[in-house]
Amino acid sequence: MRVLVIEDDREHATFINKVLSEAGHDVETAYDGANGLALARDGEFDAMVVDRMLPEKDGLKLVEEYRTGGGQTPALFLSALSDVENRVEGLKVGADDYLAKPFAPAELAARVEALGRRQVKDEPPVTKLKVGDLEMDLLARKVWRADQKIDLQPREFRLLEFLMRHAGQVVTRTMLLEKVWDYHFDPQTNVIDVHVSRLRAKIDKDFDEPLLQTVRGAGYCLQA
Amino acid sequence: MKSGPFAFVRTTTFRLALVYSVLFGLFSFLLLAYLFQATVGSLRAEADQRLDAEMRALGLAYNAGGLERLEQSVIERALVPGAPFRYQLETPDGERIIGDFPYLPVSPPETVGEVSMVSLSIEMPRGDGASTVTEAEGRIVRLTNGNVLLVAIETGERGRIVRRITQAVTTAAPIGILLALIGGVFISRYAARRAEQLTRTTEAIVAGDLSVRAPVAGSGDEFDRLAQHLNTMLERLERLMASTRHAGDAIAHDLRSPLSRLRNRLEGALISPMSEESARDTLENTVLEVDRVLQTFNAILRLSRLDAGAEGRMVKFDIHDLMTEMADLYEPACEDAGLTFKSDIGTGLMVLGDRDLIAQAVSNLLDNAVKYTPTGGSIRFLVRRGSSDIAITVADDGPGIPEHQREHAKERFFRLDGARTQPGSGLGLALADAVAELHKGHLDLLWTDPPPEPRGLKAVLTLPRDR
Repeated sequence: MRVLVIEDDREHATFINKVLSEAGHDVETAYDGANGLALARDGEFDAMVVDRMLPEKDGLKLVEEYRTGGGQTPALFLSALSDVENRVEGLKVGADDYLAKPFAPAELAARVEALGRRQVKDEPPVTKLKVGDLEMDLLARKVWRADQKIDLQPREFRLLEFLMRHAGQVVTRTMLLEKVWDYHFDPQTNVIDVHVSRLRAKIDKDFDEPLLQTVRGAGYCLQA
Repeated sequence: MKSGPFAFVRTTTFRLALVYSVLFGLFSFLLLAYLFQATVGSLRAEADQRLDAEMRALGLAYNAGGLERLEQSVIERALVPGAPFRYQLETPDGERIIGDFPYLPVSPPETVGEVSMVSLSIEMPRGDGASTVTEAEGRIVRLTNGNVLLVAIETGERGRIVRRITQAVTTAAPIGILLALIGGVFISRYAARRAEQLTRTTEAIVAGDLSVRAPVAGSGDEFDRLAQHLNTMLERLERLMASTRHAGDAIAHDLRSPLSRLRNRLEGALISPMSEESARDTLENTVLEVDRVLQTFNAILRLSRLDAGAEGRMVKFDIHDLMTEMADLYEPACEDAGLTFKSDIGTGLMVLGDRDLIAQAVSNLLDNAVKYTPTGGSIRFLVRRGSSDIAITVADDGPGIPEHQREHAKERFFRLDGARTQPGSGLGLALADAVAELHKGHLDLLWTDPPPEPRGLKAVLTLPRDR
C-alpha cells in the first residue's frame, strides 16, 4: 500500500516510516500540514497517518479540508491527545481511526493495514465471509468449518466476524476491545486473551490446520 | 476598597440607598401635598366661595343704589345677630363708621376698587371677661369715596384643623426623608460590610491562603448564598490543589522505581555481553515494563482530569446492558483463573452518567477481584436497583482489606503490603472512587463475610438512580 505520513517530529516520522516500511508499505512523508494536504490531494495514497498538532495547518483542519474537497483516502490520527473527546473530534472531521501516542509499532501497522483493506468501495454488502475452510453466514448467523457446524455465543460470533473481516491482518487487543466491545480503556487482566483462546478452542481444536494465530507482542491474526 | 468611617459612601449599595431615599422623600412629599390639598385646600375654597358670594351681593347693592346703598346694606347686615360674616367700614382717615372690630386689623389697599384677600385673627370677648381668638378669611376693598370695607368670615374649628394639618405636613415631610436616609445608610452599611467580608476572603485567596472561608451569617440571604458558593468553590479548589500536589508526589515516588528498574536493566544489558535470545528477552520485558509505566501514567492523567471535572459526558442510559457485557467480558477470565463467577444483574437501571467511565470503574473492581482471589475461590457480581440508587457489587474471596486501611485503599498509589508483588498501579480503586464521586455516588469497601471471621473484599459502587 502507498501510505502518506504527515508528522512534524522528524524522529517520530522516521520511526513511523520504518514501522510501515517493514510492514511492506510504500511510505511518503510530509513534515507540515500544508504540504501534507497538497500531497494527500495529488498523490494516490491508500491510507494516511496524520499527527494532530502540526505546523502550518492543524491535523484536524487538514483532514476536514481534505474530506470537504472530496478526498477519499482513509485517514488515521496518531496523536498524543488521546481522550475520548479527542477521538470523537478526530472521527467527526472524517478520520477513520484514531491511535494514541505513544503507540506500539504492531498496533500502528495493524491499524493501517485494516484501513487499507476497508477501501474497496461500491460492493454489495457482504453476507458471507470465508477464510480457508472456515465459513460464516452473516444473515443466518451460522459458522461452519470444513462443513462442520460450529456453535458460537453471540459475543464469540462478533469476535470471529471482526477477525474474518480483517483476515490476514494483525489485530491487536486494543482494536478488539474497541471494535468488538466498544470499550476505550485497558483492562489490567488478560480478559481479551481468554475470549480469543475460547474462540480458538472452538474453531481450531479439532482441526489439523490452525487458523487463529497469536502474533507475539502484537495481537492475533486469522489466516488460512 | 479603602476603609474609614465614610468608605461606605463610595459603595454601590450606599448609592442605591441614597437614590431610594430621594425617591421615598419625593413620594412622601407628593402624598402629603395631595393630603394638604384635599383637606386644607377644600376648606379654604369653601370660605372663598362664601366670601365671594357676599362680595357679589354687596356689589349688587352698590350697582342698585351707589355708595349710599352699599354702606346702608353693610350696616344692616352687620346688625343682624348671628350672621356668619364680620364687617368693618371706615373712613379714609381710619375712623370707624360701623363694624365688628375696634380698629381695622389689616392695612387697606391704596387703589380704589381692588379687592384683596386677607387672613386675620378675630378676638371675640367672652362672658367671663377673657376672649377667644378665631381665625378668619376676609376681603378688603377701597371704595370710590375712599372709604375702606372689610368683609370677613370666621373659619373657626376648621381653621384650627387647617393649621394643624399644615403643621403636621410640614414637620412630617422632612422627618420622613431623614428617616429614609438614615435607614438607607444603615442598610447600605450592612450590605457594604457583608460585601467587604467577601472581598477580604477573596483577597486572602489571591494572597495564596486557600484555607480561609467566607463568613456565613445564617440569615440565608443572597450574601449567605454567595458566601456558601464561594466556600464550596474553595473546598473544591483546595482539594484539587491537594490532589495535584499528591499526584505530583506520587508520580515522583511511584514512577521513579519502575523507571530506575528499567534503567538498571538496560544498563545491565549494555555492560554484559549476551546472546541474541537473551537480548530479545530483555528487550521484550523492557517493553512490557514501559507499557505498564504508560498505563499508570494514563491512569494518573485520567484521574486528574476527573478531579478537574474535565471528564464525563453525561447521558441518561440503562446500564443493564453494559453490566451484562462486563459480566460477559470477565466470566471467561474468571473461569480460566479457576474461580467461580456468579452474576445477577437487575433491570431498569437508569443512570445519568458516562458509559466509558462507569465501565472503567467496574472493570477495575473486577480486575482486582480476579487478581486477588486465590484459585478455587468465587466472585459475585451483583447489580441491584435501590430506592434511590443503583448498587454495583463485586464481592470476592480474597484477603479483603482491613477496616483501618479502607480509606487509604482509595488513595492514589496506595497498595496493600500483600499486593506489592502483584502487577498494578495502585490507581484502580482511586479511579473507581473518583468516578463514583463524579456521578455523585460513592464507593464502599466491606468484608464479603462479616466478622467474627472476616474475609474477602466486597466493593460496592453506588450510583444515583435517574428516573
